[in-house]
Amino acid sequence: MGLGKKMADFIDARLGIRDILEQNLTKYLLPRNINAWYTLGAVLLTLFTVQIATGILLLIYYNPNTDEAFRSVQRIMNEVPFGWLIRTIHAVGSNIIVLALLLHMLSVLFMGSYKRPRELTWVAGFLLLLLSLGMCLTGYLLPWSQLSFWATTVATNSSQELPMIGDAAVRFLRGGAMVGQPTLGRFFALHVMGFPLLFGMLVLFHLFCVRRVGISRPPFGHDWQAPPPSTTFRHEEHPGGIPFFPHYVAKDAAIIAFFLALLLGVVFFAPGLFFPPAAFEPADPFVTPPGIKPEWYFLWAYQTLKLLPSEFLGLAVQGVAVTLLLLLPFLDRSPERRPSRRPLFVSAYVLGVALFVALSVWGHYS
Amino acid sequence: MEVSSRRKFLVLSLSTLGALVAGVAAYPLFRYLSPQPTGGEKGRVNIPRAQVGAGQAHFFQFRGHPAVVLQSAPGVFAAFSAICTHLGCIIRWLPENGEFLCPCHAGRFAGDGKVLGGPPPKPLQAIPVALSGDNLLVG
Repeated sequence: MGLGKKMADFIDARLGIRDILEQNLTKYLLPRNINAWYTLGAVLLTLFTVQIATGILLLIYYNPNTDEAFRSVQRIMNEVPFGWLIRTIHAVGSNIIVLALLLHMLSVLFMGSYKRPRELTWVAGFLLLLLSLGMCLTGYLLPWSQLSFWATTVATNSSQELPMIGDAAVRFLRGGAMVGQPTLGRFFALHVMGFPLLFGMLVLFHLFCVRRVGISRPPFGHDWQAPPPSTTFRHEEHPGGIPFFPHYVAKDAAIIAFFLALLLGVVFFAPGLFFPPAAFEPADPFVTPPGIKPEWYFLWAYQTLKLLPSEFLGLAVQGVAVTLLLLLPFLDRSPERRPSRRPLFVSAYVLGVALFVALSVWGHYS
Repeated sequence: MEVSSRRKFLVLSLSTLGALVAGVAAYPLFRYLSPQPTGGEKGRVNIPRAQVGAGQAHFFQFRGHPAVVLQSAPGVFAAFSAICTHLGCIIRWLPENGEFLCPCHAGRFAGDGKVLGGPPPKPLQAIPVALSGDNLLVG
């Protein structure tokens, strides 16, 4: 008997690891008609792992001080061996993550997987999306470039339109009247500790919900029917389904490989895609560069604020849209999940996606 | 092909691929984490002679490590690494005793670097020093 087998037997006799693995891998059955969109959760877990690893590596050389931050990032890019690779993966990775998050949300919406009994899974997932955007926003300031400085100035300034507390909110967010060292300090703390801790807890809760409630069956095929309403807990089983391992893990691995290829493709062949010229100049609080714009995933909000007659109205519209999405499972209570039987929802869905894309493109070229 | 040999082939192929990917990822990581050359690691240090009075010691950075230059008698200069040979603490100069003391475990060194007492196993590492006009050239 080999040493590895002996050690595995030793651990198994005490902790029953093989049983846990069996229950969660080979005996964990998924619906037979499960599709590739269900892999996006595993894709996101992988991408977030890459972000955490590269983020820790960047912390070794990054200096969160307004006098040093830009220089330390330049040093990472130009002097530290492979620093450019670590930093570019981190910066591009954040964009790929937002893309995967949006696709994950859109697929869940389209297949109605947010519906009872998965309301809490949806709420946790949507909060994860908001937290991720928060991490993007706080991380954007850290290089202390002209782009960082002015994008953060504009982003924090929009809170000024909040009734009664506008000015105080802006000062609180910035830690002072203007973006400066206090802003960098609090954004750094949030980016590397505050948000990731909350994020980790929410991810665990999200995964717990997914596993506890069971994977939802895709609402396609002639034999699909809504589960009977139940007031007690019921784990959704899929007798006769495909095992998670190795069948679905292989599909997970293929889609993860696709996203990693996309990430590395941008890193190696279009590294400047997410770095406009203002990202290469140190922050200057006295000179606003022309045409400063937020990242692509905030362009819809940017354009909404420009189009509506007052910034308050713009913020209110955005707030309502986000709240509606967060509370969607509690508003849309019909058990029907088949897109073909939900024409009103699908129309709103298509219009919503089209509006998001149109506002983003308009914001980009305006 | 039998199922077991097909499985073996798959495991071997995936393990090889995994090892290759791990190797490709490990090299940049190793280089990223390796100490960076700080510059001047082979250079000499110029110290104004006036900074080192007779019977006095002057501490400075030499090739990334603490070092000390001493004028033990008028015009007699000696330079040493300031790292105690026992466990790596930094020695200090006691002008009243004319000797170096390591504050960690009371190792004592003479002005020429030799061990006078305590646990240090060997003398302080000497560094060449030369007088050049009003400057001391160390290294």
